[in-house]
Amino acid sequence: MKKTNLLKVLLASSAIVAAGESATAGMYDGVTIEAKLIGGQQYEGLYGRIAEWEAETGAKVDIISKKSHFEIDKEIKSDMAAGTTSWCVGSNHSSFAPQYEGLYANLNDLVSAETIAEFVQGNINASTVGGELLMLPRAQFDVSVLYYLKSNYEDADKAAAFKAEYGYNLAVPDTWDQVKDQAIFFADPPNFYGTQYAGKDEAIVGRFYEMVVAEGGNYLDENKKPIFNSDAGQRALQWFVDLYEAKAVPAGTTSYVWDDLGQGFASGTVALNLDWPGWAGFFNDPESSKAAGNVGVAVQPMGTVTRTGWSGHHGFSVTNDCANKEAAVSLVNFLTSEESQLAESAGGSLPTRTAVWEANVAAAKAGDDAFRAESLEAFAEGAKFAFAVPPIPEWGETTNIVFPELQAAIVGDKTVKEALDDAAAAVDELMRESGYY
Amino acid sequence: MTRRRLPEWFVLLLPAIVVIAAVVLIPLVFSLYSSFTPYKLTRPATLWKWVGTYNYEKILSDGKFWAAFGRTVLFLTIVLNLELLLGLGIALMMNKVTWGQRSLRTILMFPMMFSPILVGFQFKFIFNDNIGLVNNVLQSMGYNAALPWLVDGKLAMFSIIFAEVWMSTPVFAILILAGLFAMPRDPLEAAKVDGCTPIQTFRHITLPFLMPFIYIAMTIRSLDVARAYDIVQIMTGGGPARRTELLWTLMSRTGYVDSRMGLANAMGYVSIILSILFTIYFFRKLSAARAQIGMAG
Repeated sequence: MKKTNLLKVLLASSAIVAAGESATAGMYDGVTIEAKLIGGQQYEGLYGRIAEWEAETGAKVDIISKKSHFEIDKEIKSDMAAGTTSWCVGSNHSSFAPQYEGLYANLNDLVSAETIAEFVQGNINASTVGGELLMLPRAQFDVSVLYYLKSNYEDADKAAAFKAEYGYNLAVPDTWDQVKDQAIFFADPPNFYGTQYAGKDEAIVGRFYEMVVAEGGNYLDENKKPIFNSDAGQRALQWFVDLYEAKAVPAGTTSYVWDDLGQGFASGTVALNLDWPGWAGFFNDPESSKAAGNVGVAVQPMGTVTRTGWSGHHGFSVTNDCANKEAAVSLVNFLTSEESQLAESAGGSLPTRTAVWEANVAAAKAGDDAFRAESLEAFAEGAKFAFAVPPIPEWGETTNIVFPELQAAIVGDKTVKEALDDAAAAVDELMRESGYY
Repeated sequence: MTRRRLPEWFVLLLPAIVVIAAVVLIPLVFSLYSSFTPYKLTRPATLWKWVGTYNYEKILSDGKFWAAFGRTVLFLTIVLNLELLLGLGIALMMNKVTWGQRSLRTILMFPMMFSPILVGFQFKFIFNDNIGLVNNVLQSMGYNAALPWLVDGKLAMFSIIFAEVWMSTPVFAILILAGLFAMPRDPLEAAKVDGCTPIQTFRHITLPFLMPFIYIAMTIRSLDVARAYDIVQIMTGGGPARRTELLWTLMSRTGYVDSRMGLANAMGYVSIILSILFTIYFFRKLSAARAQIGMAG
């Protein structure tokens, strides 16, 4: 046991030294780093660059798993149960990180303080659980902004009809009440819908959570007791229910998650869409989107108290059981380096390094891509309202309790109050079992 | 001095005993043990904490579990009966085919060859409310609405039943067809001579002969359907609002997403009751059916 600890200390100290310097040619000859990475088209560019790191260091990266984060999550949990956690680098996410107790190494010990200081401080804070830095952030705190079809606001007849019906001018909505009015006004099912929302799993609970906050409430109190069944919570859920009852959202919205929503807006049949920054390029690309050229981006609307801003971010972590942490940290450093982020942010994702963020804004201002400049401005403004989910291992489990109840209210099986009270009672039981109070 | 030797029968059976213990008994005992612990996948140490019957008490008083249990029984009953009726019909028609029957039999088995996950995705697309095949066909015929096939409680249940029946009816058809092939011709000819109508012949001769085959198919399929997971998980994930939640979607979410393997295993053991009851019922029916046609009970 002592020997292992000594080895860990030696490895850690050598890694600190190594991290301060850039990787030198052939320094990890013969080393193979096994990695479990998040899969998806938007990550392929980054993974394509891994060959450069391999050529530079002599090491080899063996990607043993590449799946969506929900799938990777299940696999990691099975690994933890079976004790098969000797692979080295894993994709991580701020919403999932607190669950993996003891799996990932504290990067404060393995990465130099100077390197850490190059990241946006808010990202480093959100990557830290219980004082341990569990990942180096890859992409900025995503905050969803409002995408809309511009043509809806350029039609004088529509504007007049809207004014006559609702009593105020038709303009890009700034509050969630306006979104509701306009969504109902624009909807013409089954051909065109006013808006849409994620309808299951953690996705709908995250959306509900940010609406509760925007209405002045919260999900849990400081003792981790559920308080989302408050008046604010009921107003938040009522918004989802009203849109569903008015048929302003697709009937299948309760089964939609991110990809369905992105494809839906790209099909040009949805007027207003709260969605993640990573979709901006996709929505305005004629190859992938029928809405291209007609897409506007605005800061996310507000509830009665503040703007929504549920956020999370991806990152890369190094396991405690990794045989060659030094090389693994070098790979993680490479994946989140300034060069990698510059390359990635060209595709639309938001960087986590201050320098890259500044470079992007400057480039957009100087360039002639008005859409990019408009998007970045909305993202920057939207990020000011960012807040993460409660950093507790039980977050995911609470969402599995809450989402069927939210759905029950949306599809009319329960009233808003019944659904939220039932969900709160079940989450309360979970929190008691987990020993919070 | 003679050495004590193990009995021969035991030595001969030993390899089988070892293999069965390794692949069946040990996992079974282990999962039974873990159902008495608060075992969480992400906290391996919880495996050694004994909580007695806490998990079972929690399940027995959990309305959501019993709703899923009831829904699974309903799903099982409808699926088995539909598959039986369709399978019987197909087998009877197939039995009349005189040319190209072998090719037809192979084609009949195609749905069984697909992975259930693939079937799930296929029907998820077919029943999608926005871009799905069914709604598009309905809309092109002038029906101007999008039916929420995978959302509405009854339609969603119908959709997963449809997919399950589509995939597994051939199991019934093939087993019943085997029964038809094995049937002696004499009673049928005697019935004809005695002037029985085709319906009388079917009711009093063919069907009793087929019953043992039907009950064997029922037993096998009841165990399969009670464990229905892939298709349902892909098509609806048990939702929305638990409208299509079956035992296995609930169990897998508890075990793998919430990491509460102890609780999920306890659910597994309670739900085994369902399979045992159905198996006992069908085996009794099987014995009765065999006795009726003069085979040993």
